[in-house]
Amino acid sequence: MKKIMFLLFTFIGVLYADSLNNLLKEYEDNSQKSLQTVNEKLGHVLVYSQKELKLMQHNKLGDVLKELPLLNLNRNRYGLTSPSLAGTKTTVSGFFRLFVNDHEVSSIHTQSFALSWGEMPLDFVDYIEVYYGESSFSLGNETGIYFIRVYTKSALKENSTQLKTLYTDNNSFSQSLTHSESLENGWSYLLFFNQNNIKNEMEYKNELLKNDMKSRYFYVDMKKDTLGINIGFNDIKKESYMGLSLDLVPNNGELNSQDYFINVSKSFLDDDSLKIGASYNIYKREYKEDNDEGLGVLPLIDFTQPPINTIPKKYKENLKYIKSTGYVTKNFKTSNNQLLTSFHIKKKEYKLINRESTNLFGQVNSNKKFNDFNKETIYSFILEDNYTVNDKLLLIANSKFDKYDRNAYLKDSDETMYKVGAIYTPTENFGLKTFYTKTYLPPSFYNTEFASSLNKDIKTQKYNFYTTEAVFAFNKSKFSITYHNVEIEDFIYFAPIGFINVDHKIKTEGLIFDYKYQISKNNKMVFNYYFTKSSEDINNSDKGGYIKFMGNYSKFEYFSSLIYKNKFEFRPEDSNHISVDASYNLNVGATYNYNKDISISLKGENLLDKSTKSLFTDGFPGTNTAIKDFDRTVSLTFKLVF
Amino acid sequence: MKILSCVLIFLSFSYAQSYTFLLNKYDKELELESKIIGKIASSSLSKDIVLFIPKITEAERNIYSKIFTIGLTCEESNFIFVKKNFPEENLCKNANKLYFTNNYKKLLSNNRFFGAFFWSKSRPNIVFIKSRLVKNNISLPNSYKQFVEDL
Repeated sequence: MKKIMFLLFTFIGVLYADSLNNLLKEYEDNSQKSLQTVNEKLGHVLVYSQKELKLMQHNKLGDVLKELPLLNLNRNRYGLTSPSLAGTKTTVSGFFRLFVNDHEVSSIHTQSFALSWGEMPLDFVDYIEVYYGESSFSLGNETGIYFIRVYTKSALKENSTQLKTLYTDNNSFSQSLTHSESLENGWSYLLFFNQNNIKNEMEYKNELLKNDMKSRYFYVDMKKDTLGINIGFNDIKKESYMGLSLDLVPNNGELNSQDYFINVSKSFLDDDSLKIGASYNIYKREYKEDNDEGLGVLPLIDFTQPPINTIPKKYKENLKYIKSTGYVTKNFKTSNNQLLTSFHIKKKEYKLINRESTNLFGQVNSNKKFNDFNKETIYSFILEDNYTVNDKLLLIANSKFDKYDRNAYLKDSDETMYKVGAIYTPTENFGLKTFYTKTYLPPSFYNTEFASSLNKDIKTQKYNFYTTEAVFAFNKSKFSITYHNVEIEDFIYFAPIGFINVDHKIKTEGLIFDYKYQISKNNKMVFNYYFTKSSEDINNSDKGGYIKFMGNYSKFEYFSSLIYKNKFEFRPEDSNHISVDASYNLNVGATYNYNKDISISLKGENLLDKSTKSLFTDGFPGTNTAIKDFDRTVSLTFKLVF
Repeated sequence: MKILSCVLIFLSFSYAQSYTFLLNKYDKELELESKIIGKIASSSLSKDIVLFIPKITEAERNIYSKIFTIGLTCEESNFIFVKKNFPEENLCKNANKLYFTNNYKKLLSNNRFFGAFFWSKSRPNIVFIKSRLVKNNISLPNSYKQFVEDL
């Protein structure tokens, strides 16, 4: 029989891929689809393949984030591009979890990745998977709504040195070096170094909001069989944009951060079903700002007396955070059942190195701790079961038990999460996926420090959500509709006096439509539209979508995309209401491959100059204002591989 | 009839560009790798092939066994594909076996291997070393000349 099969494959090979060259091309094309790690059981998934990242000229993570459905990518007060869920605008958001390979890189302080990794370059990235829905069951013990998994390039598949340099029309530049090699002794390594000098400023009240940023990234990935070692580092130095200034225009301000981590993991047994991993992360943050009109450092302001007595005009702080994790995971497989058990432990520590503030009367206050909560250990036990009823129906049941051991005033807590779901594929052309999830988001160090003085005991936010996705796939087309319905209790909201738990249940629901069409072997079109409906006042676009086209012909690669976010009105009944126009972000680009090793690319972003805008409050309690997030930009990229 | 069904199923998979949900691990890349190795092995050896992959994984065994007879040991096999780091002394020494690797550096330094299938500059490559083809009495089709190097 094997002989017959061998002959059959050889025969088919002769018919359709009669040369090794054709097979090699097919092998390379397939590798660029980046589907090897997709896990449909984790949530509703979008894959940004190696090919798409290249054709669309996605140079940094923000390029991908700005088109994702159900979120808005805006600039926050510190000038960082920060994602918020549709309809909302948050300065720092803890809904998103970002992984670089196995390591979760969100800030230990705020649970947001915006400062250190939001603008991470993608030159060393192979592909990106985005999961909508709670996916922390098998991905560690940080909870969230959106899970973004970035996979770095494999040294085994690169075996090269790549130089890339990018210049923009506003004198920003970026340079990167990627070197990878597989050695004879079985080890392979990938080294990445990148530096950026980004120029950015916005005009407000005839003054400039300065937002220049210098950043450096370093990454090493070493592998031997199933042992993997990742070392990451980044160093960000930037101007403070609005910072904490009450009038939105500081005299001056600077934000510096460094993030270092090492992550080691190894799989054991013939089927790699036992995995052990550990990581160690140090994160440093320095901030300083001066503003004659005052700074909104809420923990320093005493609202029981006239605020002018305690509002600072100068502020600086130097903070250090340490995170260490360890985990062991074991998979048990039978013909129709897959059980995953896992134990995680994570320890977070927060150290105040220095903090100094000067109030409007010139009085200096040093090393004031905002509260004593600075240590947290999380123990998690995970059970995940996937049962294949038949070749058309898969049932999913996940549960996770977390124990939070906290110091100081914040209570220890035991939390439970669970998810039940099913994936039903009655035909090759139609599939249904549905999940019901109960999860939570715990308060971060930042939430407790900036908690309202009326109630410092910030409670965990509880989420219940139900999602369903229907997919229709035909030869060249794929159409999907995803419905979500979310209920949140004890939502942590940043009110003018600090973080509070909202005293009522928040509800939101919406739909995502997605249509992909493979026009030809080398050309593809994607259309996406979403809308949400919320029980609360919205302060950001709640509808959006995009249409994009990408492809290649001969030595050329090309793309165009139009990202839409709808018009919205903030508090229409209020005298302080504000209306923000719809955003139409048009991007166009092309690459010329001089040969297989040299290419030059031209890209225009936000060509219509109709960027999204972010809402801010000028003054205290203040008036609302909308400021443009992004400028029109043209960039030129040169790439050399040897 | 069964063979015809197999052909039709295979063709339908070859041309299906879209999928609803990927419920099983995506192994098309491994499947193509096995086809490439299958082509190389069948062009290099005239007899039935028994393949040995040191430290073979479960996924590799499942895919490769569709077109190869998989040998449990090096001794009982006639085509050895070294994909992972494997001690040299643990490989059997027999003149009637062909050795292939996925590591170009290993190919250059160890004359046991007559060729390699590896990645370089983000592209898959195949290299056969001329002198080792002669030594192993391998006569490849003319269309393979582009992969043969003098070293």
